[in-house]
Amino acid sequence: MDFEVTPEEQELVDSVRSVLAYECPTTLVRDIVENDSTPEQPWKSARELGWASIDLPERVGGLALGLTALGLVVEEHGRRIAPGPFLATVTQFLPLVCEAGAPHQLQRFAKPAGAGELRGALAVDHGRAAQHETGESLRARREGDTWCLSGESSYVLDGDVADEIAVAARVAGGDGVGLFVVPQGEVLARRVVAFDASRPLAHLRFDGVRVGPDRVLGTPGESSRALSRALERATVAAALECVGACQTLLEMTIEHARNRRQFDRPIGAFQAVQHKCADMFVQVEKARATAYFAMMAVAEDDPRRALAASMAKAAASDCQRLVCEDGIQIHGGMGYTWESDVQLFVKRAKTLEALFGTGQAHRRRIADLLGV
Amino acid sequence: MKLHYDTETEAFRAELRAWLEANQPTLEEMRAAPLTSSAHMPDWARRWQQRLFDAGLLVPGWPPDLGGRNLSPVQQLVYHEEMAKIAAERTANPQGLGIIAPSIRDYGSEFLKERYLRPTLRAEVTWCLGMSEPGAGSDLASLSTRAEVHDDRFVVNGQKIWTSGAHHADHCFCFVRTDPDAPKHQGISVVIIDMKAPGISVRPLPELTNPDHVDFNEVFFDDVVVPRDHLVGTLGDGWSLSTGSLAHERGMMWLRSAERLDRAIGHLLELGRDPGPDGRRIGEDGSFRDAVASLYVDAQAMWFMGYRGFASFARGRVSPEHSVLKLFGSEVSQRAARIATEAQGTDALDVEYESCGYDESFGRLPWMTQYLHTYRMTIAAGTSEIQRNIIAQRVLGLPRR
Repeated sequence: MDFEVTPEEQELVDSVRSVLAYECPTTLVRDIVENDSTPEQPWKSARELGWASIDLPERVGGLALGLTALGLVVEEHGRRIAPGPFLATVTQFLPLVCEAGAPHQLQRFAKPAGAGELRGALAVDHGRAAQHETGESLRARREGDTWCLSGESSYVLDGDVADEIAVAARVAGGDGVGLFVVPQGEVLARRVVAFDASRPLAHLRFDGVRVGPDRVLGTPGESSRALSRALERATVAAALECVGACQTLLEMTIEHARNRRQFDRPIGAFQAVQHKCADMFVQVEKARATAYFAMMAVAEDDPRRALAASMAKAAASDCQRLVCEDGIQIHGGMGYTWESDVQLFVKRAKTLEALFGTGQAHRRRIADLLGV
Repeated sequence: MKLHYDTETEAFRAELRAWLEANQPTLEEMRAAPLTSSAHMPDWARRWQQRLFDAGLLVPGWPPDLGGRNLSPVQQLVYHEEMAKIAAERTANPQGLGIIAPSIRDYGSEFLKERYLRPTLRAEVTWCLGMSEPGAGSDLASLSTRAEVHDDRFVVNGQKIWTSGAHHADHCFCFVRTDPDAPKHQGISVVIIDMKAPGISVRPLPELTNPDHVDFNEVFFDDVVVPRDHLVGTLGDGWSLSTGSLAHERGMMWLRSAERLDRAIGHLLELGRDPGPDGRRIGEDGSFRDAVASLYVDAQAMWFMGYRGFASFARGRVSPEHSVLKLFGSEVSQRAARIATEAQGTDALDVEYESCGYDESFGRLPWMTQYLHTYRMTIAAGTSEIQRNIIAQRVLGLPRR
């Protein structure tokens, strides 16, 4: 296993990091949370610099650099808790379209999304995402050569702001999965009063939404493999964004421990504080290494990819739990305030923990895969 | 980043595997004379180490004139991966091969190299490492074993403790204070002491697992005479031998503990098929399933962190992975054995109970015994608390005071 970041990968990371440092300060995120603003950045930069097409095939205008390159870029977005359509469009919508779509559908949906001209979302059952299943809450019924979607999909990231929703639904009268692309305007979206207001989540109602054959991805009833493969990508990306957010939280905490003085010394000189910081560092290293393995396993289509994706999410879960709790603890009273940026990072990490299966759900999946 | 190495590297792996298949000691010979301490060298172990040396496979990253084959860092990694998979350890005297031989290579005089290097590599002599003292454990630099300096000799007085394998070792690579007036990190020197020299007495310290299980010892020095030419490196510069310079050899020790953890998980999965205290299958218990899955993630993460650390190490960057892996690996290993003992309930108390433990070269060990062994892992070679200090201060840059 070669974890060495190649010079090309490093160059990409450096350029993304410097663009985001400039275009995506924490004040931008805070302005969304406090004033409901809708900044153009950093999506504008992502579009102009081609970040959305990093993992897309060349035939649809992609850079075809692979998931390892995209994963590193997602981690950088996490470091800045970047808002905007990047995560949902690039790591959730696109994977499903690319796994299940026919060539004409890739041209129609993936190409504009990769060019940053289309915003996508992915409606799946987060409660069963770790098991790669869809529940009964959203069903697809065949009506001649069209399909009819009825029911609800909850907690869809960007569900009310995207242009197109990639949907996984249970095929009525069986336990198969059907995959569809639905224009956002055809569903009833209700914005969730979200804990992390910089991440728009919506509940989507499908009141007999008709989907023509040109918007059906693959063959309904036989799409569970494509759903699994897309979920693996989305899960690994969520883990990587979480690692990025935790990395910054760790850095903020260390900075605070160096500067805050009590009893005539920096609090970071106290062993009780040092040991918490060391444990946070270990968890971040663990989660990052595990997520990197997962992105390689998915990128190279290794047989361990499902296990690897669940491990990445479980490790990110362990990491965010400790980094959030101890990060705030070491910040003391200031960490508990609205004005401290710590809260923004904690909320992003907690949101990512809940999406695509919690650590607990993924450990259940790992136990199944290991045959415990 | 990629999962697989190039074909040249994999060709080396295949060659190495074939060689190991033909040359590794058999389980029968290993079990007939099991290793009882970290300096106990039964005949099979000596012959095995000599076969490795003669094939250029004991220290393959070293130059050919020292018995190596100048392997690239990646090939060395592959070498350690394969060595970790076989039952036999690379050497029965890990301190001698892993720490003392490279120290003599890097710091020793021509005389010392001539006299000790090749015999150590060929397992003709064994070593113990005289570091900890009753008053100098985690705070090693406060050691007080004295070596009076004379023109032609040193005279050593004092006491070492936790000296692994001292009752079997031929020589001691000993940290002594040669200048009591210098600041504590200075004034320390390293001398090679013949363990049969007059004035040395060794008192074994059996471990809590079994009164017959001895690796640690107390070693007492009473006017022990050491020839002056047995000084390693410069007088007063011993501290530099105890730090950084050994990182190379420690660099890949994590592979074996990661491999052991993988085996432990295999045995935990077997345990899951057994009936538990309530008569139901242990693996049906939700908390056992969660604990094993969580452990599996951490055990796999050991590998990934090790490989990531290796990637920086191979590029010549200082890597914090050694402390991280030591801390993490020892605590995860402890958790592995604890999960098993808790799942077993009262069956864990019977040390002859047959469904148990890791399959080591000397047979099966009860989980509870294995669990007791893990208490050592979080203490020896730098306690977990010291590892956390190192991470906080040297990696994260938090202030000492």
